[in-house]
Order: sequence, then C-alpha cells, then structure tokens
Amino acid sequence: MPVTLRYPFTELEAPPEYRGLPHIDPKLCIGCGACVNACPPDAILRIDDYDRGTRKIVLDIGRCIRCARCEEVCPTGAIRLTNLFEAASPDRRDHIEVVELRLVRCKVCGNYTDFTERQVKKALQILPKEILEEEALEEKVFICRNCRRKGTVDATINATKEVVL
Amino acid sequence: MSAKPKLRSVWVFHLNTGACNGCDIEILDILTPFYDAERLGVKLVGSPRHAHAMLVTGPLTRQCYHGAKKAIKAMPPKPRIIVVIGTCACSGGIFYNGYPIYRRPESGREGCEYPRRGGIIELIEDLRDEGEYVGPVIYIPGCPPRPEEILYGIAQLLGLVEKKLEGEHYTEEVGFELPEAPINERIRLTLREKLRHVVGYFDRDKILEDFMELVKKAEESEKPKEELKKLIDEYNAKIRDVRISFCMRLLENEYWRVRDALSAGKEFVYWV
Repeated sequence: MPVTLRYPFTELEAPPEYRGLPHIDPKLCIGCGACVNACPPDAILRIDDYDRGTRKIVLDIGRCIRCARCEEVCPTGAIRLTNLFEAASPDRRDHIEVVELRLVRCKVCGNYTDFTERQVKKALQILPKEILEEEALEEKVFICRNCRRKGTVDATINATKEVVL
Repeated sequence: MSAKPKLRSVWVFHLNTGACNGCDIEILDILTPFYDAERLGVKLVGSPRHAHAMLVTGPLTRQCYHGAKKAIKAMPPKPRIIVVIGTCACSGGIFYNGYPIYRRPESGREGCEYPRRGGIIELIEDLRDEGEYVGPVIYIPGCPPRPEEILYGIAQLLGLVEKKLEGEHYTEEVGFELPEAPINERIRLTLREKLRHVVGYFDRDKILEDFMELVKKAEESEKPKEELKKLIDEYNAKIRDVRISFCMRLLENEYWRVRDALSAGKEFVYWV
C-alpha cells in the first residue's frame, strides 16, 4: 500500500484546531486597533488618514507568525485564524488584507477624530444604560478630543465666574 | 507567473540564512516518503552550482548576507528560482526589527508601508541592482509552513496548481453587524476575559455560549440564583468533563459578582 500523500493533486483540509491564515471579517471589525497593539511581529497596521477620513487596518499574512494573540484580544471576534494554509504566491501583494473604515467627523470643528463610527456604536453597546442616558451621550460622543477639552475648560471657567460674581 | 519556465525536474539547494531551524525541519519533511517531493521531480543537491532553485529560509542576518549572496551568484545563470520558505524569509517575521537583520539602506526604518519589507527580498533587490539575473520568486509564508504548504508552493512553481489567495480590500460598503448577546455586553466581555485566563482563546467562546444559554434560562425564572445552580449541575452531569465544570462554576461566581455590583450601581473590577 502506498503511504505517500496524493496532496497537490487532491484537496486536503487541516484539522479544526490548526492555526492557519488569519482573516478579518469586515462585517464585525470596528477598527479599534487592539490587534495592532497585540501583534508581536507588527503584521497588522493601523493607518489613519485625516484628510480623507478613513482608517485602514492592514493585515499582512506574510509577516504573521500565527500566534493568535489578535484573536485573543479582539473584542468583537472579527479576526480569526482559519484552518486554511495554502498561501503560496509569487506576489507579496496577494498576502495583504485591508479593511477601510470611516472616522467620526467632529460636530463642532468639522475635523476628523481618531476613532471610527463603529467604535462609537460598540462603546454605546457596552456602556451601562442605567447610569447614563443615551440621548445626552450622543451629543457628547461625536466631538473630537480638542473640542471636548475646550468645552470642559470653558464650562469650568464660566462656573468659577458665576461663583466669583 | 508570467514567462513561466518549462520545468520538469527542479534540483534544489537548501540555504539557511539564520532561521530557527523550524522551516528546515519542514523541508526535511517534504523529502520523506510520506510527503515525497521527489515524485514532483524535486531533488536536493549538495551544491548551488547544480541547483535550479534555492530553498531559502531565515530572516537574512548580516553574517549570512555575503554567504547567501555568493551562493545565489554561484547558481547557473538561469533559471535561478528562489523559493522563499517561512514568514522570516518572506518579510523578516518575528525577527523583523532585530539588530543583526540585514536591511537595505533604501528600505529605511520600519514604517507603515505594506507589503511589509525585510527578509530575502532585500538580498534579491541588491542582486538585481548589481545586474545579476534572479528568476521567479515564490513566497511560502508560515511559521513554519506545513509540509503540505511547501508542496503546494512547489507544485505552483511547476504549474500543477493555481494560486488560491488574492489580496483583499474591504470598505465600509460591506455592512456592519453588532451581535447581541443574551446577557449584558459589559458582563459578557468581563466573563470572556476571565475565561481566557483559565482555558485560553480557543475554547472560551464555545463554553461562554453554553453558559449564556443557561443564564438566559435561569433569568426567566423567579429565583435565578438557585435555578442557575441547578441548571449548571445538570449541564455538568451531562458533559462529564472536569475542566468544563470547573469553568462553569467559575463563570457562575463571576457572573453573580459582576451582576450584583452592576444592579447595585457599584463599580466593579472590570479586568480581572
């Protein structure tokens, strides 16, 4: 009986627990960048473009070492290690996976902030509804860091003026 | 691959440029009778002067640089195929910013460029700048790649199979889903993190899903605490796995700790 695998001429599936090629599910990804911070070999990148108002999450399979730390930290379960393994290619650009998401535009100054719209939706889902009112929150959320700081400082100054007067 | 060379039997030379030996062991594997790359005509030769293709592993350390250059120059001028095996050789891998890794001055420091640079491509570009001919390059990422993956790469080189992977670019148009769990999302994330310390990333989602179903059932009844205890006892009796029943007990305690704190309006330790 021949022992040799007939592999390149037949299909073959890796076992389910095999750590194969990572894949980002674009429907679930919120662009938080937790995987970018966790990735030991910097295979995942976060590129913010404040002129066009987009954030790119770029995954390079050719740099990935299959450690599954990204899967461990992903809050939505968007990035997963599949059990696919056939990644050989003559072109390195085939190993790239890009997810491009929209950034939030500040309601006050009109510049782009450094968080995505999906991140805001996820954060609103996590926040306890009993403590905070959602309507009041939605006014405060879509403001960039500078404008929020300015608003806080102005409010404090006005409050002190009232006390002094 | 454009200008596909007619390849019948590829003689390969195996070159290690500072790899951890994982990829080299996989290369030994494909020559065993089980995987048997020799049926595709692959033969391992002892000198680069006899080789059509070079199987390169490793992130290209500076000590290996000149040796590797000499070995590639010693190959016959055509076809000079480079089979890049392993994540390290493809792009530097986990060693990408190590001090002994060779990088071209033109490549500069590691930035936001993609595909990520590093590895053997630096040497190949140096050789091409010098006017040397270097034939087709095939990249086989993996840390280490499975023997099947290497076989697949070699079969692709010989024109037996087509490549399966394509570069992908998704934009906001694909739509967005925010999956709703049966329990409070804040509690779910805390339990998920707690479970990671006990069972790791791979099994935790399945266990947590089962637990959330039990919680959903228990919350509908009048006495949720006793009901959940009873349900978990039943579940454990059915599963008969000590590890899972330990996780279930742990999750139960954690769930009531967090939920009581939340419903009392108190702050709880979020990341345990």
